[in-house]
Amino acid sequence: MGPIKDSSPRSKSIGERWCRLVFSQEGILFIIMLASVLFLATRTDKFLTIDNLLQQGRFMTEVGLIAIPMTYIIITGGIDLSVGSILGLTAIVLGWTWQELGFPLELAIITGILSGTAAGLVNGLFIVRVGVPPLIMTLATLALYRGLAEGISEAKSARGYPEWFFELGQGEFFLGIPTQLWLLIIAVIIFGIILARTRLGRALYAIGNNETGARFSGLAVNRYLLLIYTFSGFMSAIAGYIFVSRVSTTRSDMGMGIELDVIAAVVLGGTSIFGGTGSIAGTIIGVVLIQLLKNGLALTGVTSDATIIVIGSVLIFAILVNNFIQSRRLEN
Amino acid sequence: MSGKKKATPPPRRPLHFIGIVLALAILGTYLFLPFVIQPERGPSTVAVLTESKRSNELGLFRTGLEVIPLAALGIFLLGLWNVIVPQANRAISLMISVAGLLVVVYYINFFRDYAGEEAAYLGSMGSAFWIMLAAGLLCILQILLPRGNVQARFRVMRLFGNQESVILFGLLLLIFIIGIANPRFLQERNISDILQGNAYIAVAALGMTMVIVTGNIDISVGSLVGLLAVISGRLAVGGAPTPIAWLAPLVAGGMFGALIGFLVAYLRIPSIVVTLGMLSIIRGILIIWTNGERVTGMPKDYFLSQMRPLGIPMPIIIMAALTVAVALWMRTTSTGRAFYALGSNAEAARLSGLSQKRLLMTVFILNGIFVGIASVIYSTQFNIIQATPPPALELSVITASVVGGVSILGGTGTAIGSTLATLLLNFIRSAMIFINVSPFWLKAVQGLLILVTVLADLVRRRRQRL
Repeated sequence: MGPIKDSSPRSKSIGERWCRLVFSQEGILFIIMLASVLFLATRTDKFLTIDNLLQQGRFMTEVGLIAIPMTYIIITGGIDLSVGSILGLTAIVLGWTWQELGFPLELAIITGILSGTAAGLVNGLFIVRVGVPPLIMTLATLALYRGLAEGISEAKSARGYPEWFFELGQGEFFLGIPTQLWLLIIAVIIFGIILARTRLGRALYAIGNNETGARFSGLAVNRYLLLIYTFSGFMSAIAGYIFVSRVSTTRSDMGMGIELDVIAAVVLGGTSIFGGTGSIAGTIIGVVLIQLLKNGLALTGVTSDATIIVIGSVLIFAILVNNFIQSRRLEN
Repeated sequence: MSGKKKATPPPRRPLHFIGIVLALAILGTYLFLPFVIQPERGPSTVAVLTESKRSNELGLFRTGLEVIPLAALGIFLLGLWNVIVPQANRAISLMISVAGLLVVVYYINFFRDYAGEEAAYLGSMGSAFWIMLAAGLLCILQILLPRGNVQARFRVMRLFGNQESVILFGLLLLIFIIGIANPRFLQERNISDILQGNAYIAVAALGMTMVIVTGNIDISVGSLVGLLAVISGRLAVGGAPTPIAWLAPLVAGGMFGALIGFLVAYLRIPSIVVTLGMLSIIRGILIIWTNGERVTGMPKDYFLSQMRPLGIPMPIIIMAALTVAVALWMRTTSTGRAFYALGSNAEAARLSGLSQKRLLMTVFILNGIFVGIASVIYSTQFNIIQATPPPALELSVITASVVGGVSILGGTGTAIGSTLATLLLNFIRSAMIFINVSPFWLKAVQGLLILVTVLADLVRRRRQRL
């Protein structure tokens, strides 16, 4: 659970703390994850290999990176449905400025990331200044940004990038770990600490628990909200860049539907959709669990369509178990 | 704004009758004045021309010409109102002016059309054109005429006091403007195609409206429509009696709804999480079951959507009937009112003795049934049922409900608004094709318009609160 719960003044024995850790959402998820890894490992020997796991790390980076700001946003009680479209927009702006406008690739990358960030900023501005509910705002920009991507690209794809461009998406860096996985690990650590240990993090929980209360206690709620929606645009843009680098081409339908994967991972990770609770650790376990399930089931010969049934069931089941345990704890 | 003391209404002056007079003038010229000149037959009135062109391949002129008496009717009604409520003058005058403007532009357009390439057949317009032009200009001018009472400043706001009328007005405006830019848009076939093709979205949006009113959401509708459509199609192909093939999706939809409702109401999982999970589960079941193969070879009497009782396509009838039924039901029955109560304040609803669990079960089962009806309309539309659900259908449905005035926080929203919004969104899409917007930019313009609609609604609500 979030740091606010942890800092309750009641002194606890080590056993109690341990128990608490295990029965937190993250603990339960971690156990589910270990169980499924063990189960899948007994089914096929191709699953639990370093190569395969690292490869999966490559595939889950985009979802993982976007899941970080999504966790922040859902903790404040908001949501951002436009992340997939921002990803697509970034990819298209990157490819288009490079191929059609003749920008140097470095500049094209920066332009792409800036436009993705600007897209997030627009979301934030409308949500904060005009007071459009986040769900509706990002539903509208989900269509708008995807539409911009389609309009700019005119259904043409850009390819033929130079070799160095693929370093981020296809290369390896230090210990043979995929480059983008390093990025994800660093981002998770930094933003996990920010959420758990800084004023900004605490402010997000406060906003999620009671936005009016947070406002009256003098928190700059608007500034924080603007910040996290812009941050969401930025991270989606980075994910877009990695996506292009990984698949070597840009298309306007990139990242379509990724918002549901991201939200599923965040919710699976114990972040309440109503706001106020959640953690980066939980989110990342959610991301890993979903990716490992997808991959492991595929390797054991289950079709990808059956896999999504499993993932959907795990999502509902995990929340169910958590609800049950939390309510038992409340009774005690 | 209503607390002010009432001033005595000023005497009715001849000026107030201007709308009626103009409307009668327009209707008169339409019916009696030789309006266009046909080479073979000489001068002819528009009414005669319309009659003689009924079976003509140039359907666009027919529908285009029929708009003129409709505009006259609109002006007439507004003028009547202007006479009955003299103090409501500014707002009403504004609307008369808009109608007048449309008539003027319409006639200019006709003039251009007939004087141009169609000249050989239709000839140029006679003096009637100039009469019409003057009438339209007068319509516009009358907003500048002095008025006895300026109390009616907020009338426009009051007239557009609800989301439904805003959307309806937007819809009419869109139809008129696009009709002027490209009269083919007004072809009966086009309009009826738009209505028919999107009726299933409107029906699904009705269920979604109820769900959102209670403060929940269902993002699994897209997959569910896909699955139920295939169930229905396979039953029909397998030789089941047609009524069973039609009813099965309703029952199955109700069962899925009951499952979702159970998870939400009794196990207390947030609806967005449940339906996010169900979205994957249902899609998975669908693809595994069908293997991606589409369903074909349904018997002839299966195609409900292709039937036309009384000449009206079935989907339009179902859509209209269900919209009215849901609107009445939500407004008048105790369960319908309880949905609003639950959505605006769940705690208060509980304290006033409403069973939250039962209401949630009801609303999700109803939603499932509506999704079932939607999927029957969808599956009987064409001779092929695709195994993949229509892409991003859940977003279209949610967008329609939200634009239709359903607050995503629960507690407000109506059935009529959601159906009108479905129509508006799809008219916009069709309209953009007719005014030659590049197909690549369609989605961007659509997104922008959704945003504008939402903002307009927000501004309206804020004004009302003041």
